Amino acid sequence: MSFLTPLFLVGLAGLAIPVIIHLIQRERKNVVHFPSLMFLQRIPYQSVQRRRIRNWPLLLLRLAALALIVAAFARPFFRRAELAQAAAQGAREVVVLIDKSYSMAYGDRWSRAVAQAHDQIGKIGPTDRASVVFFSSGADVALRSTPDRGRLNAAVNVGKPGSGATRYGPALKLAGSIASESALPRRDVVLISDFQRAGWQGAEGVRLPDGVTLIPIAIGDSDTSNVSVTPVSLQRSTFSEQDRVTVTGGVTNHGSKPVSNLEVSLEVDGRVVETTRVSAEPNSSASVTFAPFTPAGRDTRGAIRIANDALPLDNAFFFTVSPKEPVRIVIAQRPGAAADSNLYLARALAIGEAPPFDITTRSVETLTPDVLQRASVVIVNDAPIAQFTAERLGGFVAKGGGVLIALGDHGTWPAATGPGDILPAVPGQPVDRTTGPAARLGALEYGNPIFEPFRAPRTGDFSGARFYSYRAATPVKDAQILARYDDGAPALLERRVGNGRVLLWTSSFDLRGNELPLKSVFLPFIHRMVTTLASYAERPSWLSVGDVLEAAPGAPVPGASRQVVPRVVLTPSGERVTLDGEGPDVLELAEQGFYEVRGQGRDAAPPRTVASNIDLAESDLTAMDPQEVVAGVMGRAGGAAPAGTNLTATDLEQERAQRIWWYLLFAGVVVLGLETLIGNRVSRKGPIPL
Amino acid sequence: MLTTSITPGARFVDPVVLSRIGNLELVARYVVDGFINGMHRSPYFGASVDFAEHRGYVAGDDIRRVDWRLYARTDRFYIKEYEADTNSNFSTLLDVSRSMGFGSRGVTKLEYAKMLAGCLTYLVHKQRDRVGLVAFDSDIVEHVPPSAKHMDVVLHTLDKLKPSAPGSLRAPLHKMAEHFGRRGLLVLISDLYEEPDAVLEAIGPLRFRGNDIVVFHMLDPAELDFTFDSPSAFEDLETGEQIPIVPEALADQYRSLVRAHIDGLQERFSANRIDYTVVNTSQPLDHALFSYLTTRERLTRVR
Repeated sequence: MSFLTPLFLVGLAGLAIPVIIHLIQRERKNVVHFPSLMFLQRIPYQSVQRRRIRNWPLLLLRLAALALIVAAFARPFFRRAELAQAAAQGAREVVVLIDKSYSMAYGDRWSRAVAQAHDQIGKIGPTDRASVVFFSSGADVALRSTPDRGRLNAAVNVGKPGSGATRYGPALKLAGSIASESALPRRDVVLISDFQRAGWQGAEGVRLPDGVTLIPIAIGDSDTSNVSVTPVSLQRSTFSEQDRVTVTGGVTNHGSKPVSNLEVSLEVDGRVVETTRVSAEPNSSASVTFAPFTPAGRDTRGAIRIANDALPLDNAFFFTVSPKEPVRIVIAQRPGAAADSNLYLARALAIGEAPPFDITTRSVETLTPDVLQRASVVIVNDAPIAQFTAERLGGFVAKGGGVLIALGDHGTWPAATGPGDILPAVPGQPVDRTTGPAARLGALEYGNPIFEPFRAPRTGDFSGARFYSYRAATPVKDAQILARYDDGAPALLERRVGNGRVLLWTSSFDLRGNELPLKSVFLPFIHRMVTTLASYAERPSWLSVGDVLEAAPGAPVPGASRQVVPRVVLTPSGERVTLDGEGPDVLELAEQGFYEVRGQGRDAAPPRTVASNIDLAESDLTAMDPQEVVAGVMGRAGGAAPAGTNLTATDLEQERAQRIWWYLLFAGVVVLGLETLIGNRVSRKGPIPL
Repeated sequence: MLTTSITPGARFVDPVVLSRIGNLELVARYVVDGFINGMHRSPYFGASVDFAEHRGYVAGDDIRRVDWRLYARTDRFYIKEYEADTNSNFSTLLDVSRSMGFGSRGVTKLEYAKMLAGCLTYLVHKQRDRVGLVAFDSDIVEHVPPSAKHMDVVLHTLDKLKPSAPGSLRAPLHKMAEHFGRRGLLVLISDLYEEPDAVLEAIGPLRFRGNDIVVFHMLDPAELDFTFDSPSAFEDLETGEQIPIVPEALADQYRSLVRAHIDGLQERFSANRIDYTVVNTSQPLDHALFSYLTTRERLTRVR
């Protein structure tokens, strides 16, 4: 038993207080004048009973209360050796958490971690059980709760550093789950890690169950040096009608020594196209911009590399670039329409880089299957639709195409059933709002992707445009009204048909029916409608390890079926993973490099390449205090550090972990309460409590 | 407050009530009135109408007092003696030491003693005896010589007495013995906080001079019963000394010591034919007076 603040034990002198109060203080207060002490003095001094304690239980209670309180203030605790000796009995459930984030590949960290794991496994007794869990951004159980040391050691030997970043939360949750399922009396979680600062974002809601002790074992290095590449920046430009990409990369020096003339290379499709040199000061970054290049094709692979150092994984950064693919739009107008009938629509679509729009204007009668095969979106602008055209458009939409219909004054649609039944509403008679106040757009469905960018204030005012005429429309069953006029009549309706969707605009895209083309919201409004119909989504140039690769294709292929087809994923290490729809439809990226996704079957989409990069935050090898993790998951710093590690729990930490003072103080208060009760009873019977 | 006593014909008044009466003469009169005159006899034998005894003639006796009739029958000379129904000296020896200032029930021992002395003085004065007073602590404080005219002086002196100094018996009583040239009745009122032998030794010179001595031992109920309950520092009124006391623990021992002290005094006074009365200041004054006078009456008859 040791004391954190032993000076408080001087307070034990306070044990004399009750006696002093009784013998001195009370008598001083009460002086009785008596005629003569002649007889009293004859009585032997002892019989005056100054020192006689007549109520021993009461005195002992008071002394015990004082002693307990004083002892609580002295903050007693048992040292580790004492605790270990006292708690040497009882089987243990040990969960060995081994950090396999890529920072563990630094130097000989991994071999030291494995040695520590073997050491911990070697300590388990015949009645103990142990589990081996590898973790990085996620956690995997390598071997669950077994007393077999051989299997445990083998499970440890199988592990190796991965590409993930350090995240302690999932691993500790898993360890807590394993420990809570155990019926053994002692449960320990051994955390073997380099304890990177970047891996701990506070408590993260992780709390080990009561009675579970976290034992941190730090596999760190006192002096580290590491240089990593930074994420790249891609600038696109057009030169001689060719799409060019300028790559800006960089390096970050995480060490304490400057780095000079570091070779940085840009690779395109596996070939080094440019090499340059940079210098970086300690704990700073430097960037380098390479000469622009033209992507040869879709998903052109690019990489930035530097020379390998003690941590090789963060010395490369991968990305993919593709030539711009415009959204192909066919504007169908009625035969004999004025030349400027599509003026505002075409001008609005002519402006756009992400994505660019490829516009073709033709008569509605010429919408042949070949034309539709090449188009992503068809805009029917104020044109009557014949039965066969409606059916073609119906087939086009069912395969994933998008159709935007502006009714205008002349737009009609055959009352078709079957493939041609794609209209969100049945067009009605024109509504004239030239007399009286003009109509304005009222309720907009901001939750829809079309209007979502206009949700925030001052991001687009649709109510400023006046509408003088529009067509009445009766929505069909599965249509959704996205915008209404101020009288409640539908202005824009949407209907999903097959893999595509159809938008119905009950007014026109020129100045005959409304002033919207003159408003600033017209251009983004048209762009949003077209990109939504085309299901356009900009693909990122790279993903990170731990992200999820979706099995479904990201961008639609016009005319192709959107049915989930079996897909095969080639990982950077050459492993083949089949996503056939029966198992999980997603694949979590676990490696650094390029993943290739290939469809199977006749209608399969072209192969797709995804660049996967490690979390560069892991490159910062700055270590944290392991007790911070212990305090976070146990509510206190109390994890026992085994002998031989570089962690030594201080007396303060040990005392905080045990918190004996709290129990002593509580017991002291309880005893005081008891003393009060007994004292009150005694004082009712007689004047002398002692 | 008047209380009816179980003793027929006597009215016993609470001393606390009496102490509220400022006029000591009034108190004495109130208490003494009702007692029968003539109960008090002179200690002297002399020419009186009440025959006492015969004794043999010795040379020098007045031949007029020879009982010739007896001579005729016996042929011997006998002197006929009578009870001398003469005026006697009566002095109150009052202890006014600090210990007499103690009182636990509203009246101190000294106040009680002053009332008792006043009553006795009044009573004796009504017998036409000479009354005097000696107040003492460790020395003589006040002295009023016995005189038939000193009734008022005695009462007035009694009235102004206050406890002021530690007391002792031996020195002042020995000093008094030198002053009392004429025998008389001496009433010693004190709390007698000395050993019985010392008390007797102090009274001895007075008694040897032929004085008839009556001792009133004044004690407060608290001194007798020791009814204190809380642990306290007990301070000696005379010396100022303090000792911590747990009354519950030693009350029995104290009471036995006091009892032994009283018994010791009783025994020694009886052996020396000294009247001794323990006066509890919680008892009515006339009760003490009554018990004393009946005792005197009984003793007188025996003699």
